[in-house]
Amino acid sequence: MATTTHPTPPLTGPTAPAATASPTSRTRRRRPVPGVGTILKWVVLGLGALVMLVPLYIMVINAFKPQDAIISSPLAIGPDTFSLEHLQAALTSEKFNVVRAYGVTLLFVALVNVCGIALAAPVAYVIARGRSKWHLGLLLLFVSGLFIPGQVTLIPVVFVLRVLGLINTVPGFILFETAATLPVTIFLFAAYLRTVPRDIDEAAALDGAGKIRAFWSCIFPIMRPVVATIVVLNSISVWNDFVSPQIILGPSSGIYTVTTGVYAAVGEFSTDYTTVFPTLLLAVSPAILFFVLMQRHIIGGLVAGATKG
Amino acid sequence: MAATLSPVRARRRPAARVWRDRLPGIVMGGPAVLVFLAMFIVPMFLAFVLSLTDWNGYSLNFTFIGLENYAEAFRNPRTVDAAVFTAVVAFTGTILCNGVGLFIAALIAGNGRANTLLRTIFFYPYIISALIIGFLWSAMLAPEGAVNGLLGTLGVAPVPFLTEVTFAKASVILTIVWSHFGFNMILFLAGIKSVPPEYYEAATVDGASKWQQFRNVTLPLIAPVFTVNLVLTLVGLLKVYDIVLALTDGGPAGSTQTIVYQVLRDSFANSELGFGAAQSVILLLVTAVLGLAVTLARRGAEKKVAD
Repeated sequence: MATTTHPTPPLTGPTAPAATASPTSRTRRRRPVPGVGTILKWVVLGLGALVMLVPLYIMVINAFKPQDAIISSPLAIGPDTFSLEHLQAALTSEKFNVVRAYGVTLLFVALVNVCGIALAAPVAYVIARGRSKWHLGLLLLFVSGLFIPGQVTLIPVVFVLRVLGLINTVPGFILFETAATLPVTIFLFAAYLRTVPRDIDEAAALDGAGKIRAFWSCIFPIMRPVVATIVVLNSISVWNDFVSPQIILGPSSGIYTVTTGVYAAVGEFSTDYTTVFPTLLLAVSPAILFFVLMQRHIIGGLVAGATKG
Repeated sequence: MAATLSPVRARRRPAARVWRDRLPGIVMGGPAVLVFLAMFIVPMFLAFVLSLTDWNGYSLNFTFIGLENYAEAFRNPRTVDAAVFTAVVAFTGTILCNGVGLFIAALIAGNGRANTLLRTIFFYPYIISALIIGFLWSAMLAPEGAVNGLLGTLGVAPVPFLTEVTFAKASVILTIVWSHFGFNMILFLAGIKSVPPEYYEAATVDGASKWQQFRNVTLPLIAPVFTVNLVLTLVGLLKVYDIVLALTDGGPAGSTQTIVYQVLRDSFANSELGFGAAQSVILLLVTAVLGLAVTLARRGAEKKVAD
């Protein structure tokens, strides 16, 4: 693999600084004294981390300050400007009931996960075990959904839901979101089920279980890792979705998720920072908390979902 | 449930028996297929049919006008501008997200505690909704916002981040990169960590420098991850909407409107459903073609490595 062999002396000279900032350095060896390269690397990473964290810091501290203090000194906070008033106002806002929005969004996340997995798992099993061209066709049908942007189908979906009498209703929204999760879910489930030996099916059949019962009681429990991956992917996408709840549920339904609620509360007052920052802070906190607690699973799930898809 | 009813008939004829064998499969697959048809396939065809009409979305009569909406999409300066801006966002965004993501991933690929912490810091915006990211940066980049406040203390005149066309376009792209490169970084990290350490040992024995190792060992071996990253980012950015809505609301003077922004506005606010549908069908085709093209182009690169 490594074809080029540079005539490098096996031992570097006493001066390690040959290791420059970029990885272009030719003669870098691990040394107890950090070279210029190492220092520069940490400076770059430190500045990068600052760029990532300062917006979070600004959002947090400015949620506790009055408008003039936000504008005059956005990065500072002191006892004279600190106040819980605005956060409390956002928490009890008439326009956007945050606590209720958490509940509603969480319920949607749970429902979409349950419905999506209940629909996708058995069909993925049929696809994974089938050998005919029909099964392949079925897989291709679902996988084609990966290339259909949700925004393209959303407008006609409104009319389909209208015909079904489900527009501006929770079941209509759940139906759409569930369908949106199917392509990825079925793809990952089918890929996983191909690795599950058929012996388990046969053992279940010998015990007299029907195909459907055998699946749910013997195969589905084995699918735990891939189900966890899917729960992570679906939860993040449903929690963060804005366009579909905004259009399918609509303001007329009076049901707000966290995102549509933020849009209703912040959209028209985007220069009143005493509304903006506390509302954003409240909207973001559960997601950040969830992320910090479940970080390993979330990152693992995202990686598994993307690289196997 | 239906499965228990069939055996009565099934014993009579082989044809019925075939159906009895198929029934569990149909019961297991049917609901998903129905939901998928109703929410994906039917709407997709409906979008195509609607794109051939001048329907406004609510009246009872409309006429088929052939490909007029498609011709209009290429003529209408609003749509053309939005298409150009979407393309710029998608391409520069993809390059920057993956460039920054790969760079950071290469720097923090080690297993130390600091690296784990940095991974969290660079990645966290990805799990926050794009709408909220947009509102946050909109507040910070406003004429009186935090960034200008900070620049003011350094003696720099206020920068029109969101109110001047070029600045606003750059702000949209940089905000997207800020919130998205962490995802690309995570995938690159996973790829880099899956390279067997023996390869590096062998390369070191051969006297390869760190850079040569990265160039000749790491990069070729993470080619599949690269493909996934490019396709996912490109396809994702072609339908960018939420972040634009919150950050600039398409402004100033409509300069940061994207295709999805146009589709949604024409379909609902402007009551030009047929025209909106035509633009969405174009987006669908472009997404599919570009997604496939990148995948195929990269397959060549991946194969070269395997050989």
